[in-house]
Amino acid sequence: MTINTMAKGGWQREQMICFRKVGLCNHVLCLFTQIIAAPTPKEHPARCETNSKEERESGTCDVALFSDYLLISLLLTFHLHSFVCFLNNCVFHKQMEKMIVAMQDPDMGMKLRNQRLLITVIPHAMTGHDVIMWLIHKYSVCEEEALHLGGMLVKYGYIYPLKEPRSLVLQPDESPYRFQTPYFWTSSRWPASELDYAIYLAKKNIRKQGELMEYEKERYSLLHKKINHTWDFVVMQAREQLRASKQRRKADRIVLECQEQAYWLINRPPPGVQNMLDVGLERQNNFNLRGTLNSDFYKNEIDVCRRALGRNRVKSSICLEGFLKYSEQYQNHDPIMQGCLPSNPWISDDTAHWTMNTEMVPVPTRLRVERWSFSFMELLNDAMGRREFMLYLEKEFSAENLCFWQACEEIRHGESSKIVEKVEEVYKNFLAPGAARWVNIDSKTMDKTLEGIKQPHRFVLDDAQMHIYFLMKKDSYPRYLKSDLYKNMLAKAIVPQETKKSVFPFMRRQRHSSPSPAQAVAQATEEDGRNKGAG
Amino acid sequence: MGKEECKTMLDALNKVTACYRHLVIALGSTSDSQNLREELKRTRKKAQELAVANRTKLTSLLKDKSISKEDRAEYERLWVLFSSSMELLEVDMKRSLEIGQDFPLKVPTRHLIQTGMTGSTSTVAARAMSVQNMKYEADSNIDTADLKDLQSEITQVSQMMEEMEMKVQVAPWAVVAKQEAGAELKSNLSVGNSSVGVISICEEEPKDDEGEGSRGGGSGSVGAVIGFLLIVAVALVLGYLVINMS
Repeated sequence: MTINTMAKGGWQREQMICFRKVGLCNHVLCLFTQIIAAPTPKEHPARCETNSKEERESGTCDVALFSDYLLISLLLTFHLHSFVCFLNNCVFHKQMEKMIVAMQDPDMGMKLRNQRLLITVIPHAMTGHDVIMWLIHKYSVCEEEALHLGGMLVKYGYIYPLKEPRSLVLQPDESPYRFQTPYFWTSSRWPASELDYAIYLAKKNIRKQGELMEYEKERYSLLHKKINHTWDFVVMQAREQLRASKQRRKADRIVLECQEQAYWLINRPPPGVQNMLDVGLERQNNFNLRGTLNSDFYKNEIDVCRRALGRNRVKSSICLEGFLKYSEQYQNHDPIMQGCLPSNPWISDDTAHWTMNTEMVPVPTRLRVERWSFSFMELLNDAMGRREFMLYLEKEFSAENLCFWQACEEIRHGESSKIVEKVEEVYKNFLAPGAARWVNIDSKTMDKTLEGIKQPHRFVLDDAQMHIYFLMKKDSYPRYLKSDLYKNMLAKAIVPQETKKSVFPFMRRQRHSSPSPAQAVAQATEEDGRNKGAG
Repeated sequence: MGKEECKTMLDALNKVTACYRHLVIALGSTSDSQNLREELKRTRKKAQELAVANRTKLTSLLKDKSISKEDRAEYERLWVLFSSSMELLEVDMKRSLEIGQDFPLKVPTRHLIQTGMTGSTSTVAARAMSVQNMKYEADSNIDTADLKDLQSEITQVSQMMEEMEMKVQVAPWAVVAKQEAGAELKSNLSVGNSSVGVISICEEEPKDDEGEGSRGGGSGSVGAVIGFLLIVAVALVLGYLVINMS
């Protein structure tokens, strides 16, 4: 199974840790979602040259039975687990909440002590050291990881520091922390609203007799402008909330204020502090808002997953081999790696390289003609190559194949309004019995195509085109490469001279951009040569 | 007059909203209990009654075409106050449903979060209900039984708010508030620093620094004065002795 867990858009380190620690079903969930999310190779019929059809057919038969069972069980665990994650709530928030609840266990939970202020005693405080010890003990992790986990709990506001409320880090020493009440837990379902923030600032204003911090004052005046229409409500509500909190005893009042302050330090961080709630590009989309989890929904999910399982996948070892071969083959043709002849236009301002390689030149460059022998697609993509190939096919009396292929390409990539007339023409010229340039297609494809032509659309000639393409590729193309026509072309092709460096050193024309990867390669090969010579 | 009635009713709704929020904050924590759930239920019901009363009153006032422009502006302002209050109430109700579901009281494996708040919230609820003391008479399964009621009430409130938006043509952004920025400071009610005082451990550092700085300066000058007086006293004593000796 080829799974890249460090892939882009894959799992952050914290998610990896949390998943590792919370049981097998989560691990399976992890793998399972990777299966669904794996990118599919593009399967363009005329251009893809892998044996996709054969692989697909053999693979799925015996997998089907097992996969159904697997799918159902995995789906259930997935949905039971993610039911609460439905409305855009990040999975790791739920993990952290679970962790916090586990810490409350009277037997196995966190050891709590009292916080002594001058007169009041407030219970339920813990030291940073206690937190780390508990994490190490409970999840059997090393200290570094426990520090990271604990740090995340503080960062996202599930635990807040008592001594230095603005410093949201977990100190592994005697500094005190306390749990945050569930109402103030970070949740994307209930983002902190501007109205709430305004009420909080108004309350603080009252309590501190106007001594807000600078950034708070700025935000206060901004809010006053923004939600001016409810400002009366803000003032009224702030006063009432303060009166309500006066009904509690002093210790609770202090805790309440600390809690609220911690909440707003996270949801409206002071300037210069990173906003923890900004997930950036990884923010999940709200596409599937709460749908009813009935049997139709699950049937749909099973279909999607079954199709995902049946997708064609290439082993990365094979993929990489192919990639390596491609790189080796094209190494000499890459202007950055090998340098351009005659010179790199971007550096020397000499556009000879481009003029020599335009679509239609009287004499093509040697590199270009060599590339025609790499693959059939290279030949067809190059306008000159196609012309030469056409000349060759005319000699062999099979030019109608290439004409047909070109006509099909025009239909595929052309204007929608002209599709119908183009398909008509193609039928008249190539497919109708007794046509002037009749192409040789097998009867099954021909029947299917003729059926499809009755309702012409952009891709109706795809099967026929692919058939002809493979015909040319297997038959005409190898012969072309061995033919005199091609060999003459190769001999005739020019190799442009590298522009001579002029006498003055600062007038030197460079082949390579600086620093050029080609120079690094050249140095490496020089060293190898020297080593081989020495050794 | 219609306006005065409206204002008193809105004040009452405002008070109940504030108390409800206060109670919801305590949900799931160690101040949570049977009593809290019952308080939540009763506060919520009271809030709903007030909301319905306010709505009928305000809609009837706003529908009246024969009121003057200033009156209409005033009623629109009151309307905006009312809808903001309802917004807060709706959000708090939804949150209390979520937290109530996550923290059932009778399940032994589901522990309440030890947040440091251990006092009871009965005084807050008493304030909301405008009674002297709260009497508790609910069943022991109120934490689960109440949730169904809560769900239906939430739908009721959402529907009411939708109707409000549809039926009443008030542009909220056009309303101008009467209070300017910083108006809360002019309150003559003593909701000042008495709540925290000197024991503010969770305060920010700059304030502590400021306090320390001024205290340091003061003691310096006092010390200087005392030193000066001491020197003068010593000089006088020495002078007296010298005079006596000679």
